[in-house]
Amino acid sequence: MSAHERLVVVGNGMASVRLCEELVARGYDGHVTVLGDEAGPAYNRILLSAVLEGTHPLDALVLREPGWYAGHGIDLRTGARVLEVDRDAAEVMLVDGTRIPYDRLVLATGAIPTLPPIRGLVRLDGSLHPAVHTFRSMADCLRLLGAVPEAGRAVVVGGGLLGLQVARALSVRGVATEVVEGTDHLLSRQVDERGGAVLERDLRRLRTEVYTGSRAVRLTDAGLRLDNGFTLETDLVVLAAGGRPSTALARRAGLYCRRGMVVGRHLESVTDDRVHAIGDCAEHAGRAPGLVPPAWEQAAVLADHLTGGDARYDGSRTVARLRATGLDVAVLGDPERTDGEVVEVTNPIARTHRKLVVRGGVIVAGTLVGDLSRVGLITQLYDRRTVLGPHEPGELLMAERPPGDSSTLLPDDAEVCACAGVSAGRIRACASLEEARTTTRATTGCGGCTSAVRDLLGARDPAAV
Amino acid sequence: MTATETHCPYCSLQCGMRLEGARTPEVVAWEEFPVNRGGLCRKGWTAAGLLRHRERLTRPLVRDPATGELAPATWDAALDLVAGRLAALRAEHGPDTVGVFGGGGLTNEKAYQLGKLARAALGTSQIDYNGRWCMSSAASAGTRAFGLDRGLPFPLADLERTDVLVLVGSNLAETMPPAARHLDALRERGGRVVVVDPRRTPTADRADVFVQPVPGTDLALALGLLHLVVAAGVVDEEYVATRTSGFDDVKRSVAAWWPERVERVTGVPVPELRALARLLVDAERVMVLTARGAEQHATGSDTVLAWINLALALGQPGTPYAGYGCLTGQGNGQGGREHGQKADQLPGYRMIDDPAARAHVAAVWGVDPDTLPGRGRSAYELLDALGTDSGPRALLVFGSNIVVSAPNARHVSERLDALDLLVVADVVLSETAARADVVLPVTQWAEETGTMTNLEGRVLLRQRATRAPEGVRSDLDVIAGLAERVGSPVPFATDPEEVFAELGRASAGGKADYAGIDYSRIRAEHGVFWPCPSPDHPGTQRMFLDGFAHPDGRARFHVVEHRGPAEQPCADYPVHLTTGRVLGQYQSGAQTRRLRDLPDSGPFVEMHPMLARRLGTADGEPVTVATRRGAMTAAARVVGTIRPDTVFVPFHWVGANRLTNDALDPASRMPEFKVCAAVVRPA
Repeated sequence: MSAHERLVVVGNGMASVRLCEELVARGYDGHVTVLGDEAGPAYNRILLSAVLEGTHPLDALVLREPGWYAGHGIDLRTGARVLEVDRDAAEVMLVDGTRIPYDRLVLATGAIPTLPPIRGLVRLDGSLHPAVHTFRSMADCLRLLGAVPEAGRAVVVGGGLLGLQVARALSVRGVATEVVEGTDHLLSRQVDERGGAVLERDLRRLRTEVYTGSRAVRLTDAGLRLDNGFTLETDLVVLAAGGRPSTALARRAGLYCRRGMVVGRHLESVTDDRVHAIGDCAEHAGRAPGLVPPAWEQAAVLADHLTGGDARYDGSRTVARLRATGLDVAVLGDPERTDGEVVEVTNPIARTHRKLVVRGGVIVAGTLVGDLSRVGLITQLYDRRTVLGPHEPGELLMAERPPGDSSTLLPDDAEVCACAGVSAGRIRACASLEEARTTTRATTGCGGCTSAVRDLLGARDPAAV
Repeated sequence: MTATETHCPYCSLQCGMRLEGARTPEVVAWEEFPVNRGGLCRKGWTAAGLLRHRERLTRPLVRDPATGELAPATWDAALDLVAGRLAALRAEHGPDTVGVFGGGGLTNEKAYQLGKLARAALGTSQIDYNGRWCMSSAASAGTRAFGLDRGLPFPLADLERTDVLVLVGSNLAETMPPAARHLDALRERGGRVVVVDPRRTPTADRADVFVQPVPGTDLALALGLLHLVVAAGVVDEEYVATRTSGFDDVKRSVAAWWPERVERVTGVPVPELRALARLLVDAERVMVLTARGAEQHATGSDTVLAWINLALALGQPGTPYAGYGCLTGQGNGQGGREHGQKADQLPGYRMIDDPAARAHVAAVWGVDPDTLPGRGRSAYELLDALGTDSGPRALLVFGSNIVVSAPNARHVSERLDALDLLVVADVVLSETAARADVVLPVTQWAEETGTMTNLEGRVLLRQRATRAPEGVRSDLDVIAGLAERVGSPVPFATDPEEVFAELGRASAGGKADYAGIDYSRIRAEHGVFWPCPSPDHPGTQRMFLDGFAHPDGRARFHVVEHRGPAEQPCADYPVHLTTGRVLGQYQSGAQTRRLRDLPDSGPFVEMHPMLARRLGTADGEPVTVATRRGAMTAAARVVGTIRPDTVFVPFHWVGANRLTNDALDPASRMPEFKVCAAVVRPA
């Protein structure tokens, strides 16, 4: 690391902000330039659906004001769209022709929504049909929010995590919403049919109609036509059919990409170790999870690497959580594509489906739908790779027993008043609460045993209390 | 029959009690005293049992170099020996070769004299005390946020008049049982109680809302709650604008703490988090109280600041029946930190590196300010340095049982053994006294008079009710005797009332100002709340109502980030270990373990049935808990009330602190007693 390394970061999203924070925390002494194509400051992208739902105000999303960058000597350029990376010249070229030289380059370009093959989505001039929305950026969110007051009905195309969040948000906002999912169940990338079926029932109960196994094929003035012949009348179409890593820059620069830009343990391109990628645009060990925590772990590893540390990235344990009122879903890892012993409990009557994939006693993946009472513990055990006993996965999936409390059944030697050290037997020997107070001092300390003492006296002789 | 109004020898509640009968005093209720209204826990009821205890030390003990055994000696011989050895060491190595270690159970008078002994007589900077391991994180946070640290800035009874009371890491139903009555009274009034604890304690059983985070994640929980408060748009903007500073940065910093992230870090499910946030948002008055569970971490002071940020955003501190407070632990945890036992402070909460403060205190003492030493090492750092090239070679210990109560206790015991001279003043032969070269038998509680400042900042008078056993001297006598023998340039009073008056002068004009308090006022008024700068001042029950103690009157928000415990579970040490107290015992147990009327079944290892089954053990079976620092064996106590990924060991017995981590909080120097990584196996 030279003292004045020029580090250029393309992208000003959650991975990029985190990288900057980690670099600042580690005292990185190079010169950092951040190029963000959106006009405003970096914000918390994953809360956009909460903004849409109305549970979060827009202004609370901002992660770092421009002043923060300036205060730490970081050159932040917003509204700066990168046209090209010239690796031979080691320069980044912006659409306005500005060229920015780098010693190291970090691509944190995120992901872009996939446009499903629906005729009529895109008009002849290349713009989206006015009723059609994507949902990735703050601008998308604001545009959709602007359309909501006039909209009576909406169709969300895509029954994945984002699609369900958007569908719930629109529904909470009072828009009659329907979901179209091409595969045969909801959340098919994360959960099995039973999990999907529970969610489908939940959504219907929340008055959102769901069409699975059907594809939208054409948008017309009459509505959105599905391949099963239905036409859904609608004012809004929200495309939430997934996204893909934004790799156009990397590909054009000759950096090896599969789904994302392929990186090694220091998040460096396998083609050029002066170029790194973090976040949604990076692919490590065949995976591009598209979630924030892995992006942040990558940012920390890269910052450590850039400041002379020896941290390495070995992949992340992921937990995907649905953020939508009334739908409880947590997906640990990739439960449908991970080898291991499967322990599962499905209760369609209570609308719950829970499943753990266990290998060598360690939870390697899991699904929790409809009952998140144990989610905190299960994710801890998963994240920490705790080796469980053979009965534990099953116990984790069963509901906790409610604490039983019947003081009148206490044996005589059971302690009732911890403050004064009084047993049930000594209370039973008292004629009244007053006698218990004066002779045993029970109830006179913290007072917590008062009801138990009353119960004991009452059970022996109801007239005594 | 004679009855003396006095206070319990144990926790920071300092319950009022009467002692009847001078020869064999008996505890009876003092109904009029407002803090506990006659209520006591079993520790209080049985406290008199130690007064005539057969294990009481009544003669100084000196270790015989020939046999290595402690043997009785006269007071003159013992004190002359100590003074002679100190003089020799100081001549060879300089004044900082003598360390002084105090305690949060000492009266204000003793704490004050101990600081004066160190600074004015011995000239050493090396003084600190076990209160560093008690509430120092809250003290540090309170000082930074409000400009002043008083455990509760309001009377305890105010708890009953708030709307939502949040207890973070406090098990007051077991650690200070009479205080729990306020929870019931609050709930009867329609208020709500929230308890945050990795264990569902008896306190949690009395709460309306209980959340059970992973040990060491209370900070993230607070960040998540503030995130939701911001999201709900209910930040008290006017309060924030007029009474605080620094909110914008804090607001930005919590944008990244959305509920699902908090869930993953804390293990608190999102629905519980949202329900708790809703409760806070809907309440008019919110009171947040932290205790050791939140504070005894390497991130303890930041954790407290995070909860203070939440209280400030809700517009609570410095308004009636609301705000933030710390439930101090030790009997004089409050007063003990105000009058000069701390490595960085002089009496009255004056900072030792403030020239004006030095001049004031030096004038009261009658010494040249330039002779006063500067800042010393914090408690654990002091112990860690003992017997090393740069550290003290002699240590004087008053009111602390270090061998049981220090973190990483095996290492600390080795440091104590590396000293040239260890002197311990105590009531009984504690585990620490047993390792000493000289043991000095001192008076206890009902045998002496002195003031204590309870968790409310209420200065109380513990009055002598009985005579000390023959041969025992008060700590004030011992300090004065040592001061004289080491050639102190200034006199040391031995009469507590006289010492208190001097303390009042030394504290005058300081933040913890006692100048207007005297013994007769305390008797007449059931205690006086500091600050009380003059005899006609009524004392200050409620602080900050007109402004905070920073020069601009504003409270400060502080940006804090979750870092997590210094030691995380791993393949070799897969569970969290946390430590704490049980109702029947107090601190290192030096007092309570000797009382037959208190239950003492020894330490135990509390664990969830799921973990017990994984380990192949059962309730009552012996298990060994090991950490990177040590191991202990005790019976398993299998309960459904603890997190399945966590075990709990009480610290009143030798063992628990062999396990605990000595990672320190950067601001408060608090060790991380409350969480480390451990492995448990059947023994």
